[in-house]
Amino acid sequence: MVLASTHPSSLRAARRLLELPPAVRRSFWSTASAAAIERKPEIFDLVCVGGGPAGLSLVSALRSDPATKGLKIALVDGQDLTTSRTPGNEGFSNRCSSLTPASLHFLKEIGAWNNVNNIRTQPYHGMEVWDGVSGSKISFDPVDQTPGLLDSLAELVPGSRFAASKRKYETGDPTTVATICENGNLTAALLQQLKESGGVEILDKTKVESINLGPEPENEEALDLSQWPVLTLPNNRQLAARLLVGADGANSPVRQFADIPSHGWDYGQNGVVATLQLDRSFTADEIRTAYQRFLPTGPIALLPLPGNRASLVWSTTAPFATKLKQLSPPDFIAMVNAAFRLLPIDIDFMLTHHESVSPASELAWRETSTNSKSLGLLNTFPRVAEVQEGSVASFPLRMRHADTYTGHRVALIGDAAHTVHPLAGQGLNLGLADSESLVKSIAYGMETGMDIGSCWCLDGYNADRWAKNNAMLGVVDKLQKLYSVGSGPVVWGRSLGLDLVNKMGPLKGALMGAAAGTK
Amino acid sequence: MAPVRPQSFLSLPAPLRRAVASYSLARAAYAPPLANSTSIRAHSTESSPHNGHAGSSVNETEVSHFNTLASSWWDPHGSSRLLHLMNQHRHPFINRCLSTAPPLPPNHKRKYLDIGCGGGIFAESAARLATTQSVTAVDPTPEVIAVAKRHQRTDPLLMEPGRLTYHNIPIEALPLPTTPADGFDIVSLFEVIEHIQQPAPFLRSILQHLKPGGWLIGSTIARTGTSWFTTKFMAEEVLQMVPRGTHEWSQYIQPHELKSWAAKQPDLEGWQTMGVVYVPGFGWKEVDGSESWGNYFFGVRKKSLEE
Repeated sequence: MVLASTHPSSLRAARRLLELPPAVRRSFWSTASAAAIERKPEIFDLVCVGGGPAGLSLVSALRSDPATKGLKIALVDGQDLTTSRTPGNEGFSNRCSSLTPASLHFLKEIGAWNNVNNIRTQPYHGMEVWDGVSGSKISFDPVDQTPGLLDSLAELVPGSRFAASKRKYETGDPTTVATICENGNLTAALLQQLKESGGVEILDKTKVESINLGPEPENEEALDLSQWPVLTLPNNRQLAARLLVGADGANSPVRQFADIPSHGWDYGQNGVVATLQLDRSFTADEIRTAYQRFLPTGPIALLPLPGNRASLVWSTTAPFATKLKQLSPPDFIAMVNAAFRLLPIDIDFMLTHHESVSPASELAWRETSTNSKSLGLLNTFPRVAEVQEGSVASFPLRMRHADTYTGHRVALIGDAAHTVHPLAGQGLNLGLADSESLVKSIAYGMETGMDIGSCWCLDGYNADRWAKNNAMLGVVDKLQKLYSVGSGPVVWGRSLGLDLVNKMGPLKGALMGAAAGTK
Repeated sequence: MAPVRPQSFLSLPAPLRRAVASYSLARAAYAPPLANSTSIRAHSTESSPHNGHAGSSVNETEVSHFNTLASSWWDPHGSSRLLHLMNQHRHPFINRCLSTAPPLPPNHKRKYLDIGCGGGIFAESAARLATTQSVTAVDPTPEVIAVAKRHQRTDPLLMEPGRLTYHNIPIEALPLPTTPADGFDIVSLFEVIEHIQQPAPFLRSILQHLKPGGWLIGSTIARTGTSWFTTKFMAEEVLQMVPRGTHEWSQYIQPHELKSWAAKQPDLEGWQTMGVVYVPGFGWKEVDGSESWGNYFFGVRKKSLEE
C-alpha cells in the first residue's frame, strides 16, 4: 500500500525502508499495515471547515462561552491562515465589509474586536442612496428625521409595525450606521484571539480530501460512528465530527456531503472592487457618509475608509467589469467619477467605446453639460483622485439559498448557507449572525445534555436564522431587480417609492434598522 | 379492556400514549392513588391487576406496549418527539431544586439513577453533562433497553467506562447502597409514577437508593378535568388518535397528593414543583400554576444525616 503510492515522501520512505536488513524491514511492514487497519478516526466534538469570518467567529465564540469552552474543536482550511496584517495606515485591501452595530456587538462580546487594528477601520454615520436614472434619493441620515404622514398614522395605531420600527430606530445608536473593516483585519483578529486562547486545533494549509460517513461498527458492542461525518485529510489523517460545520463558502463541500440543495440564480453581473483615494482627507472624528447610486447596470457604492481612502464596490455587467479591469489607472478613476456624476447613457457610452475615447477627457466635457443636481448628486460628494495599484478585482454576483442549514451532525453558516448580492453589504453580517445563533443553540444543548450534532440541538439554529436570512435575501434581490430597469413606469414608480421612503421617518427607520442589523 | 392497536398508538405523542395506556382500570374502580393501602392497585405498573409478580413494579402489558414503541424512540419526527422536547426542561428543574439546598462542594460530580429510563432520553442527556459522575439507568422492558444501548453506541462520550450503564431489570432488582454515602445524588422518575399501581410503597422503596441530601425528581400528569378532557375525551373519543380505553386516568396523581405523601415521610423535605404545558409549534412551556391541572415536575430532598 505504501509502496504503491507515488507520493514523493512515500517513495522516499519506501527507499529508506529497502535499505534496511530484511528482518527489520518485515517488522516495519507488519506494524505499518496493522496501524492502517486499527486506525480509527480521531474524535472531535466540532469540526469547522473554513477559516473565513463566519468559521473563525463561530470557533472564537464557542471558546468564549463557558458552556461550550470544553468542546474539542478543529478548524480546517486549505489556505494559509495568518495573523499578519498590513501595519499602520498603509495600502488597504479591496475586500472590505460594512459591519453592522449588531455584528460589532457580537465581535466585542466574544472579545475579538480588541484585536482588530482600529486605525484601519472606519465607522460611518450616514448613507446617501440615489437613483441613477431619476435622481430621486433617500438619505439614511440618522440625525435628520422629518415626520411624515405615516408617522402620524403610526401613532394612531398602537403596536403597529411602523410604530415599532420607529421606536427601534429612535432608541438605537444614532451615531453609527456601520463600520467598514477589511476582511483580512477581522479574520487576523479572530485568529489571533484563537491562538492566544488555545484549545483549538487549527489545521490550515490542509485540504479536506473527502468527507464520508464513518465505518460500520466492528461488532454489536462496539462504538458505532456509521452516522458520523468523517473527514479525510492529507497523510490519511481522519477526523470524526460530532458536529461538522460548513463555513466553507458558496461551493461548500460540507453542504454537498450533507446533500442539502441550494437554489438561486446568477445576476449576470460582476462586482468590481478597488481601493481608492479621494481628493480630500478626513480626520478620525469627522462625520462620514457611505454613497450608493443605482445604475441600470447595477449599483455603485463608495464606502469610507480612514484618511482619504475609500472602498469601491461597483456591480455591473460582466463585459463592463472586464473592461474596467483593463483600464489604466487614470482612465479607471475617470470612469468611477463618471459613474457617480454622469447620466447612465454617458457611462454606457464611455465603457462601450473606451478604446476610441479617453474617459478622462470625455468626463471633463460631459460633466460640464450635465445638470448634476437633477441627477441627485450631493455637493459634498467627494471626487476620486487615485486608485491603489493592483487593487482592482472582480467577482461574479449570485444569489443562493440552501434549503435548510442543518442536517444530522451538519450545520451550515455564512456563504455555505446563503450568497447574497453585495448591494446592501449584508453578506458578512449574515454570516456573523449565523455564528452567533449557532453558538447559542450549541450552548443551550450543552446545558441540557443534548448531543450537539442532533436535530434537537440544531433545529433552534435553523428556525432562528433561515427565515430571517430568506427575508433579507428576498429584499436585496427585489431591490436589485427593481433598480435594474432603465426607464419607463418602473422608474417613475421607484422614484416615487424612494421619495416617499425618504419622507417617511418610520419606514426609513425600518429600512435602516434592517440595513444596520439592529435587533 | 379495549384492544390496543399498535399503529395508531404509535402515532401518539409519548405523554398521551402513556396516559392512553393506563385508561382501562379507571372503569374498574377508582381510588385516589396515594390515599391508603387499600388501593386496588398492586405494586406494579400493570394495567391488568392479575399478572404482576410479587416484589416487582413491572407490568407485563406495559412492557409489551413499550416494546412496540422501541423502534421510534430516537426518531426526531416519531412518537417520542414530545418527550425529547420535554427533556430540555428536566435539567433546569433539577438545578432549580438543587439550588434551594445548601450548595454541594465545588467539583462535586453527581451520581444519577434513572428509573424507567425507556430509550434513554434523559439518561443520555444526564450522562453528557460536565457535572455528572455516572448514570445508572434501569427499565424492565428488554426492547427499550436494547434501543437505549444501541443508541448509546453512537456517542463515544457515552461509551466511556462507567459514565452510562443500563440494566434491563425492575428497580427492585437493583442492589441497595451498602452505606448511605454510596447512594445516588439524584433518583429520577420521569413519566413513570402514573404507571405504578401502588405509588406509596414504590416511592418509599426507591428512597433507599438516595444518598442523604440527594433529590428524588420526577414528572407526571395531574388527575383533573383538563387532563381527562385532553387525554381521554379529545384523544380517544373526538380525534380518535388513540384506541378507546388506553388511558388510566384514575392512576394520575395530583401534586397535592404527592406533596402530602412527602410531608408524611420523616426523612424528606424541600418540596418543589413546576407545571409545563405543551404549546403546538413551540414546545413545552413552563406555566405557573399549571401543575395542578396538567403535566408537572416534582422534586423532594432526602434530609442530610446531621439534620
